[in-house]
Amino acid sequence: MIKLCGISKTVQSGGKPLTILHPLDLVIPSGQFLSIVGPSGSGKSTLLGLIAGLDVPSTGSIEIDEIEITNLKEDHLAQLRGKKIGFIFQFFHLIPSLSAIENILVPLEINGVSNAKEKALLLLQDVDLADRGHHYPSQLSGGEQQRVAIARALANDPKIILADEPTGNLDSTSGRHIIDLLSEVNKKRGTTVVLVTHNTELIDYSDVMLVIRDGKTNQVGVSS
Amino acid sequence: MKFILQMLLRELRSSWRRLVFFFVCVSIGVGAIVSLRSLIQNIEVALTTESRTLVAGDVYLQSGEPWTNEVLQILKNRLSNVSSFQRTEIVDTTTMARWVNSDSTSVKVVELRGLEAEFPFYGEFKLGSEQDYSFEILKDYGALVGPELLNQMGIEIGEKITIGEIDFTVRGTVLQEPGGQLGAFNFGPRVLIDREALNDTGILTFGSRANYRILLKLHEAEIGMLVEHLSEDLDSEFIRVGSYRNTESRIERYLTRTENYLSLVGFVIVILGGIGVWSVMRIFVQQRLNSIAVLKCLGATTGRVLSVYIAQVAILGLFGSLLGIFLANVAMASVPASLTQEAAEVAGFSIISTQLTDSAILQGLVVGVFASLLFALIPLLEVQNVKPLILLQQNQNKASSSFYWLRILIICLVVVLLLLIASWQANSMEVGFYVVGGFVCVSLVLHLLGLGLMASVAPLETTRWFSLRHAALNLRRPGNQTRIILLSVGLGSFFIVGVRSLQANLLNNFALELREDTPDMFLIDIQDDQADDVTAILKKNINHEPQLVPVLQARVIGVKGRVLSLDSASEARRAGLGREYTVTYRSHLEENERIIAGSFWDEESSTIPEVSIEESLYERRDIQLGDTVKFDVLGREFQARVTSIRAVDWDDSRSGGFMFLFSPGFFDDAPHTFIGFLKGPSDVSSRANLQREIAEKYPNVSIIDGLDILSTVRRVLDYVTLAITVVGLIALLSGSLILIGSVAMTKFQRIYEAAIFRTLGANTKTLTATLIFEYGVLGIIAGTVGSFGALLLTWVLVNQVFDLAWLPALSEHLVGILLTAVIVCAVGVLSSLDVLQRKPLAILRAE
Repeated sequence: MIKLCGISKTVQSGGKPLTILHPLDLVIPSGQFLSIVGPSGSGKSTLLGLIAGLDVPSTGSIEIDEIEITNLKEDHLAQLRGKKIGFIFQFFHLIPSLSAIENILVPLEINGVSNAKEKALLLLQDVDLADRGHHYPSQLSGGEQQRVAIARALANDPKIILADEPTGNLDSTSGRHIIDLLSEVNKKRGTTVVLVTHNTELIDYSDVMLVIRDGKTNQVGVSS
Repeated sequence: MKFILQMLLRELRSSWRRLVFFFVCVSIGVGAIVSLRSLIQNIEVALTTESRTLVAGDVYLQSGEPWTNEVLQILKNRLSNVSSFQRTEIVDTTTMARWVNSDSTSVKVVELRGLEAEFPFYGEFKLGSEQDYSFEILKDYGALVGPELLNQMGIEIGEKITIGEIDFTVRGTVLQEPGGQLGAFNFGPRVLIDREALNDTGILTFGSRANYRILLKLHEAEIGMLVEHLSEDLDSEFIRVGSYRNTESRIERYLTRTENYLSLVGFVIVILGGIGVWSVMRIFVQQRLNSIAVLKCLGATTGRVLSVYIAQVAILGLFGSLLGIFLANVAMASVPASLTQEAAEVAGFSIISTQLTDSAILQGLVVGVFASLLFALIPLLEVQNVKPLILLQQNQNKASSSFYWLRILIICLVVVLLLLIASWQANSMEVGFYVVGGFVCVSLVLHLLGLGLMASVAPLETTRWFSLRHAALNLRRPGNQTRIILLSVGLGSFFIVGVRSLQANLLNNFALELREDTPDMFLIDIQDDQADDVTAILKKNINHEPQLVPVLQARVIGVKGRVLSLDSASEARRAGLGREYTVTYRSHLEENERIIAGSFWDEESSTIPEVSIEESLYERRDIQLGDTVKFDVLGREFQARVTSIRAVDWDDSRSGGFMFLFSPGFFDDAPHTFIGFLKGPSDVSSRANLQREIAEKYPNVSIIDGLDILSTVRRVLDYVTLAITVVGLIALLSGSLILIGSVAMTKFQRIYEAAIFRTLGANTKTLTATLIFEYGVLGIIAGTVGSFGALLLTWVLVNQVFDLAWLPALSEHLVGILLTAVIVCAVGVLSSLDVLQRKPLAILRAE
């Protein structure tokens, strides 16, 4: 479970404080598919970064599985991410010098998983890229890169997947394929998925939708 | 650990192309160190191997006067504490030899040595006609002579020569002998006779010039202590005590200077390589920021990510070092054997090896790996600042500047370690301190200037000229390379110009020895009434008036001074002033002299006797300005006040050198003689005629023909000059290569920017002009700071380490500034050519 209590984010802009995320309370139960929607610059990615412990909130606290993360040191946060959180980014962020399978192997090796190679191959099969394992990111299409990124995010069986505009750089077919995959992961594995998007079509896949505008959460709705 | 190893292998596989330049930098630096170190060590080995033979004993005592009972008693006392020893004595003197059957025209200056049966303890004589040496040959007035004497006098073995009052039978020729000090050149052909027979010749009378040497052979462990004790005991006696370990000579001094220079250059090339490594790693890390952020997102701690890259640097450093060793091996193997053989012969060694030495290889490996790690560490620290948040915020500054204190701490640690490596390499903490101190100071100045430059070009940001405006914007924009290029190019220019300038100073010093007007003929003991006629004879033969210098023999018998007060000759002797000095008087300073304290006399206003002392008398014997020194000049007491202190460049032999120089007008009636320094006729027969003419007319005048000496010195210096020039050239080429690479690497940061400009319609001319402005300014500033830094470094090194007169070598510095600007500008533009010519779409897609 993810629990946010009164978290906000204020930065300095031109010597003046600028609040980019107003105080927010939110509980995301395990296994929920949450979509965070809003226009560009509304604070969606800031919220995602705070949940992942990539940024520090100006106020409030964040708990992941009852672990208060706002005061954890950088290395502890890294270890927490390695074990509990999988990331999917708009720009894929695969390591360009590593092949597809090596990109999937990295989180497994960081966590010292013993049968890493076999597990990586299975993940590749899960995302329908079994025959592309030795290709480098530059040799894959955008959709394929994102599927590798999903396989990488799932490598350590994380309880949470944080996806930042995962379809933002893809055509509609590839985008739908990716969302299908995420939905499948959410349903079959019971993984909590937090999806940041500005594409309202994707909210059909969500259990809950959080709308952000100018850093304020205007509405919390439940999908149909 | 598995993660680190796996990532290491993957990174090596994927990034080796990007790090080829890293590899090149390390291998050039290590190659230079290993080859230069090996050369130095091989010369040292040759020196040590030969030095026992050169001394012909373990310990020597050397004096210009016969051994006094007091000295012999001191020696006896000290030797009583030695477990066992052997002792022998030799005497060397320069005298005239004459063929008995001639009509006195065949006279030749010879180097005469009287020796005992025990001589030598080390080494062997090599005689002509495959004759074996035995002391029996010298008994009953026998002599061994240099083969050239037979030719010059036109005599044969079995005939007799006269030395002093005795006729000696020539019983053979000596081709090679032990006990000739390295670089102690002979003034004429060698003649060896029995030590006792030398006494019979009558030439060792009071005041004659001779070199008395006692040689000892003893247990190795007792050598150091005996030399130390005897040196202390005999400090005031003007007796030199030494061992085979510290043979001093002119050539050795040159070799030492050359060795220091080579060590320094080797280290400088490593530093240049280090700057290249730093440059490569900086750009490498910047290109890896996203990957590092991804790794952190996936759970890797900063320590694990850093470990991957540090291990990568260590492995590349190791393999770069191995390549450097291979290159050094190739370089040493390509030196022609004939060259090393001839160089060895000239220096007096049997052989100089061109093999790499084990310790040089080890040093190369250690320095290569450590220098790689040290120079890569600072850019690698950036890994710590990379926040994974950048993956969510594309426009965020990718590396924050936190951990500033840690950065400073690491930089301090790197500087200390560099200091230790530099001191180790240069074999001197002092040199290490100067070089690394210069490195740090120039870095700081460049850093501050970078900040100043960015502030000062701010007004140009509003100029209407696009190229100029964008050059200024490039210099100031966030994440700019202004300080980075200034630092790498400025430091590179600092070291390259420094090495060139140092080279100019060393070669200038050697050039004094190689000057065309260097005297090669010396006349001694010309009497007052002979001076005019000798001058006329010389003038007739060399076509210009020679300079004869009046000289007197003087002893210090008292000093009334602020620090030193001596009332008698014995007190002066105890104070280390007891020797007989050859002094002169004149109204001017010679070219090799300069006043360092006090003022030189004006001939007309000099009413009281004044004396100018050489600086060592002030530094070591405490004679001060204003002191009154009392002299015994051939039995007459004479007082003079010290009014100036002179530095004498003893390497510039054209005008000789004197410890005491008097104001003129006070020695007119004193009995004095003249000495002459001149460049004799160039052809052999004219030289012989001149010598014969003077010898016939004035047999008392000794003529020393220094042509052979100068030829030998010139040959040695030719090799030293060649070595210095070649090494300087290597430093220049490798340094330039590394700097060109460093600047060229910065193009990776401009690719995207140039592509955007191209897309927006900027043409090649506009982009080129922008690059020229930007790199031109950086090149000029970096070159100027580097050159000024080099000027200071050279001044310190030349004065403090090489002990030479400093030559500013301004042309080297001006050319340095100009070339740095041109090269940086050209490389900046040329390396971006492909960026300017490529279609922008491919670049934008790749980004």
